[in-house]
Amino acid sequence: MVGVALSRWTMTYFAAALVALLAGECLMTAGFGYPAAAVGAPETLALVHVISIGWLSLLMCGALFQFVPVLVARPLHDSWLPLPTLGCLVAGLVVLLLGFLKLGGEIDFAFSYFSVAAALLSLGFALVLWNLGRTLWAARPLPLPARFVVVGLFSVVATVSLGAVFALVLDGASNDILLATASQGLPIHIIAGLGGWLTATAIGVSYRLLAMFMLAPDLDGPTSRGALYSGATALALAIIGGLFAIFFGVNLSAVLGAAGLFGLLAVALYGRDILFLHRERKRRKIELNSRMVGLALASLAIATLLIIALLVAGKFEQHAAAVVFLVAFGWLSGLGLSKLYKIVPFMTWLECYGPIIGKAPTPRVQDLVAEARAIKWFILYYLAVWAATGALLFEVSIAFRGATALMLVATIGIAVQLVKSRMLADVKAMPKMPVDIQRPSLLFSRAS
Amino acid sequence: MQTPFVEVDVRPILRAGGEPFEQIMEAVNTLKPGQGLRLFATFKPTPLLTMLASKGFTHEAKELDGGEWEVLFSPAGAVPAKDEHPAGAAASRDGLWPEPTTNLDNRDLDPPEPMVRILATTEAMEPGEVLSALLCREPLFLFPELAKRGHSWRGGYEPDGKTYKVLVRVGEHGGRAA
Repeated sequence: MVGVALSRWTMTYFAAALVALLAGECLMTAGFGYPAAAVGAPETLALVHVISIGWLSLLMCGALFQFVPVLVARPLHDSWLPLPTLGCLVAGLVVLLLGFLKLGGEIDFAFSYFSVAAALLSLGFALVLWNLGRTLWAARPLPLPARFVVVGLFSVVATVSLGAVFALVLDGASNDILLATASQGLPIHIIAGLGGWLTATAIGVSYRLLAMFMLAPDLDGPTSRGALYSGATALALAIIGGLFAIFFGVNLSAVLGAAGLFGLLAVALYGRDILFLHRERKRRKIELNSRMVGLALASLAIATLLIIALLVAGKFEQHAAAVVFLVAFGWLSGLGLSKLYKIVPFMTWLECYGPIIGKAPTPRVQDLVAEARAIKWFILYYLAVWAATGALLFEVSIAFRGATALMLVATIGIAVQLVKSRMLADVKAMPKMPVDIQRPSLLFSRAS
Repeated sequence: MQTPFVEVDVRPILRAGGEPFEQIMEAVNTLKPGQGLRLFATFKPTPLLTMLASKGFTHEAKELDGGEWEVLFSPAGAVPAKDEHPAGAAASRDGLWPEPTTNLDNRDLDPPEPMVRILATTEAMEPGEVLSALLCREPLFLFPELAKRGHSWRGGYEPDGKTYKVLVRVGEHGGRAA
C-alpha cells in the first residue's frame, strides 16, 4: 500500500525511442536496407536493429519501469538504475550499427564492433532484468498481466543471448556450436524478440492498461490463462525446442510450426479477451488512444491471417519480411504510439498538477491533449503502414518508399502532439492557477 | 469462531513523544465480548503483553518494516480472523479513527477522477476527520500524494474482490489548516 511514484527516466527512454523510430523511417524512405538491399544485407540488419532495439525495446523498457510497479502494486526496485541502463543500451546499439556499417564497407576503421556491442547490450538488458526481476520477485504471487511480463523477460534473455552468439561469429569466432547456432538460429532470434520480448510483454501490459482506461473488469479467467500458457508454450517450443533441433539435426521448421500453432491459439484467446473487455467496459465513449489501439490489434489480426494465408500458399519464406514489417510497425509500433498518447499526458499531469489537486483548479488529463488534431496523424500512420506492407508483398519498391515517407510524416505529427502535451502547450490558462506550477522537463520526470 | 478486531494505532502519539497507555486501556475497556484489539506501535510493547494477558488476552506480535510492531490481542479461546480487513468497519470504531464524515463512491468515474475527488474532498475536511471512498482499483498513484499532504490511509479489497475501499484520515497539516 505504499503506492507507485513517477518513474524518473521513463520520458528519457520515450524520447530516445522516438528519435530511433524517426531515424529508421528516414532510412527506409531513403531506400536504405530491404527491399533495396537483400534481407540479410548489413544495411537491412542495421535498420532492423534501429527499430527493434532503438525504438521498440527502449519504448518497452521505459513503459515497464513505470508500469511493472503498477501491475504488482510495489515500487520499482531501483529508480536510478534505468539511467545507466539506458546508457549501456544506446552505446551498445551505436557500436552495433557501426559494426554493420563496417561489414557493409561504409566505414573503414577496424575494431571488434560486434563483441563490444554484444557486451554493452548484454549488460544493458541484464540491468533491465535485474531491476524488473527484483521488483517482480518481491511481489509474488504475481497477477496475470505480470506473468506475461515474466515470459517477455525470459524471451529477452534468449534474444540477447542469440544476438551475442551472432555477434561473436561476425567478429570471427569459429567454435562449431556457435557456428551452427549462428547459421540456423535467426528465426529463433526473431521469434524470441518480436513474439516473446515485445509481444508477450505488450499483451500483458495491455490487459491491465486497457481494462484501466476503459473502466472494464480485470481479467483472470480461463481464456486469459489460456493465452498465457499457450503463448509461453509456443515460445518455449520455438526457443528451447528450436535450439534442440539445431544441435541434434531435427527438422527446425516442424518445431517452429508446432510453436506457431500454440502462438495462434494464444493470439486468438487474447483477441477474444480484448473484445470482451471492450464489450464490458463502463466507459461508453473511449478516448482516442484506446480507439487507436484497436487499429494496432487489427494489424495483429491481419498479420496472423497473412501468416496463415502465406503458409497455405507455400509462399511464407518469400514474404516473411512483409509479415515482420506489419508486426513491428502495425501491431507493436501502433500500440506503442497509441499508448504514448495516454501515458505521456497522464505522467505529465500527475507530475505538474498532482501537488495542487483540490487546492486550486486543475485541468483534466484530457485537457493536455488535442485529440481532434492528433487523430489525422494516427489514421495516416496506420494507412501508411498497411500500404507499405502491401508494397512489400507485391514487391513495389518505390511504393514502399512512398508509404514509409507518409509513415515518417505521420510519426512527426504524433511526436509533435506528444511534445506539446508534455509542454502543457494545449492547456488553456486556468483561473486562479498558482504561479508556482513548474513546467515539466521534456526529458525526465521530477521526483515525486 | 472468528474474532473481530478493533484497531488502535498509537504510532503517531509515540512519535510525538506522547503516552498512549490511557488510549489503549480505554479501547480495551470498550471492547465488546468476543472482540479483540489490533495494536500498532513503534516498539514491541512487552509490559502491555503481560498486563493484557492478566486480563485474559492472548497475543500474536509481528514485526513490521522499520522496527514497528503489530500486535493482535484476542480474548482467550477465540480464533483470530485470517485475512481480516484493515479497512473494515472495525478500523473506524477506535478512538483514533472516527467514523468517516464523508463517503464517496468513485467506482464509475474515469481515472484519474477518483483521485481528484478524494484529494479535493480532503482539502475541505478538518484534521483528524476520516473520508471513506469506494473505488474499482487500488489507487496506486493516490498514495504518494496522500503521503505528501501528511494524511494517513488504510485500504483493502472488499469481500466481493472488485471494490477497493480506502479510508483517509486527514493529517494535522492537511485540510483547512493548510
